[in-house]
Amino acid sequence: MEKFEDGLKFAYLEVKPVIHTFVFELKKQWKKFVGFLVISVLIVVLQSFILYALFSDSLLPTTHSDYLSGGLIFLTSFIILFASCFFFAGIICAEFSDKTGYILFPKINKYKLIIGKYLGNLFLEAGVIAIFYFLVGFLSYFFYDQFSGTLLIRYFISFVFAFLYMIAMSSFVTFFSSFMRSVNVTIVSTILILFIGFNISQMFLMMLAPEIEPIYSLSYISTLITSILLIEFPDPNYSEISLQNFTFRTWLTPTIEMGLLVLFLYITIGFILAAYLFKRRQL
Amino acid sequence: MMGPVKPGGGFQGQNFLLIFLIIVIIIVVIIIVYFVIKKRKKKKGQEKLREHAYKGIKSREDIKSIYTPTGTSTSENKNEKNDTMIKLENLTKYYGKYLAVDNVSFEVHSGEVIGLVGPNGAGKTTIIKMIAKLLRPSSGRIWVRDNQGELKDLNKKSRNLVKLGFLIDIPAFYKDMTAYQILKYSALLQRYPREKINDRIDELLKIFDLIDWKHEKVKTFSKGMTQKLGMIQSIIHDPEIIILDEPQTGLDPLARIDIRRIIKEFHRNGKTIFVASHMLAEISEVCEKIALINFGVIIAFDTIDNLERGLRTSGLNCKLLDPISPDQLGSIIKKLTERLEPYLDKDLDVLVSKIPIKYIPQKRSFKIFYDTTDSKQTRAEILKILVKEFESDFTVVSFSKPKKSSQLEQIYSRLIAEDKVEIELSKGGVN
Repeated sequence: MEKFEDGLKFAYLEVKPVIHTFVFELKKQWKKFVGFLVISVLIVVLQSFILYALFSDSLLPTTHSDYLSGGLIFLTSFIILFASCFFFAGIICAEFSDKTGYILFPKINKYKLIIGKYLGNLFLEAGVIAIFYFLVGFLSYFFYDQFSGTLLIRYFISFVFAFLYMIAMSSFVTFFSSFMRSVNVTIVSTILILFIGFNISQMFLMMLAPEIEPIYSLSYISTLITSILLIEFPDPNYSEISLQNFTFRTWLTPTIEMGLLVLFLYITIGFILAAYLFKRRQL
Repeated sequence: MMGPVKPGGGFQGQNFLLIFLIIVIIIVVIIIVYFVIKKRKKKKGQEKLREHAYKGIKSREDIKSIYTPTGTSTSENKNEKNDTMIKLENLTKYYGKYLAVDNVSFEVHSGEVIGLVGPNGAGKTTIIKMIAKLLRPSSGRIWVRDNQGELKDLNKKSRNLVKLGFLIDIPAFYKDMTAYQILKYSALLQRYPREKINDRIDELLKIFDLIDWKHEKVKTFSKGMTQKLGMIQSIIHDPEIIILDEPQTGLDPLARIDIRRIIKEFHRNGKTIFVASHMLAEISEVCEKIALINFGVIIAFDTIDNLERGLRTSGLNCKLLDPISPDQLGSIIKKLTERLEPYLDKDLDVLVSKIPIKYIPQKRSFKIFYDTTDSKQTRAEILKILVKEFESDFTVVSFSKPKKSSQLEQIYSRLIAEDKVEIELSKGGVN
């Protein structure tokens, strides 16, 4: 029993620097949080409320699930991507480029530092997403009078996917931050890859090898977030258009299992590689 | 408030564009407002900075309260010089193919103030970074004492090492954080008791005259204030070993004096201090021992007195009341050389001076290079002769050893020059 207590005490002492870093990171990044929160609230209010409430020619989507998936498009396409880039781009490289690492590294183990910082930023970004989901859900209740049963469960699952997608994207950006020289270069390069690179490669793949599903692409995986809300999950998960002798295949969304697997791979590989490179990198 | 709209058709592209434009406009307005507020704040900050007249670090009594004495006064420390706090053993560091630190070995004992002196790029910061675990040594080991008094390898998992405080380079802080937030985080990471942190921060901020800036963001700080904050964060947890890399960089002369005073006060209370600098005056005033480093190699490691003894020569300044006329100068120097002959340095290094007695007309003084074998006695004898036997030739108004810093400069340039010659010779030998 004594040994167990000692073990617990030891574990607590080991975790303490992570907690301190987590709290410090929350204080450090709160401005970004407020910025993204303001943007998110504006987008939700304008896109999911004013659009339908003020403009007479804007009619509400026929189904509640269409309204929800429409409301989440901005989140999956822009907010998660930009928030991940802005929150995580400086997570490692800023310690080197700004030389702030000099006041930290002798005091805290690099692994503990990166875990604390990573969790702190994730918490804030998750907060933005949760508020976005809450607002869209709340407004949908206002328009459709009810929000319960299967759709509510699906909406919650969609939130879980959005959360995992956000972590995957954050790990991806953290990985870039571990070897890039400056925050700005990290932001630009990750936005280019995530926003343009993946989509262009998907287009090429569609033309050159349409039978290959672009599961490597995070933007393709993100379609799960809205697809899960549809009354009928797309099956098969692609559509084909035939033009003369050529058949184009458009991949709509990955299967849930595949999506989860890819997200977990991105999360673990991205973070482990980032932590390893961070440990190796010297001031 | 408008009533609920009945579900109907699809999504309207035109309206979406309109909404998008509205969002963009609102975001732009928010950004403009933000920058206007920021600019105003910055202006206020600059005004405050201008108002912040330097008042200097508080009295010695105040400084005393910022540390817990390690229980040993200076005199007691003398008996404990065998307590090695840090030991560097064949420490080597390569940056690619460039050898930055070459087989450096020395020990720092409890209560000592050691200065690491060398020209820019000599390897001082690299050594300190390796002690701070910011860089991994290519080979060699660093030993640090633990709480049980045993030396432990720093780069192996070792617990309970004595507390170390570091100030490396010009410190960089998170610009949007306040001094208080940074110091609190720093103290928490160093496991300083949570309940005492606020008092400790206030105490240190008062001593370094930054208390009015406690809740100000670091981005509003001047360079000197940032350096002071760096000094505070390095001692916030009351470390036993304090390692400072160029602690006076960016500070004004008064602040430099204060930093030196603080270092001396730490020393008086048994702290072990390791200072790297290229500013010789700074080192000579606070350090008892110095390690001279050049091209990554320690070329000398001893007390300043011993290094001086190693050179076996030292200069005396003998200031006169009236200048000596050029007609008399030759005979006086001849007489002086004859009378002081037993005390003069016979193997005077040409790098130091070609003749043992020099007259400097601008300063109205003689510089006499004497043998330091029994330096005190020799100086007394020289003075006696100058006063008694040369009464009719000149009047001595002051008689002094040169300042410690200029002595050190002499030692420093001499050793560096010797080292350069050795390197060139060895290069020649290889070729």
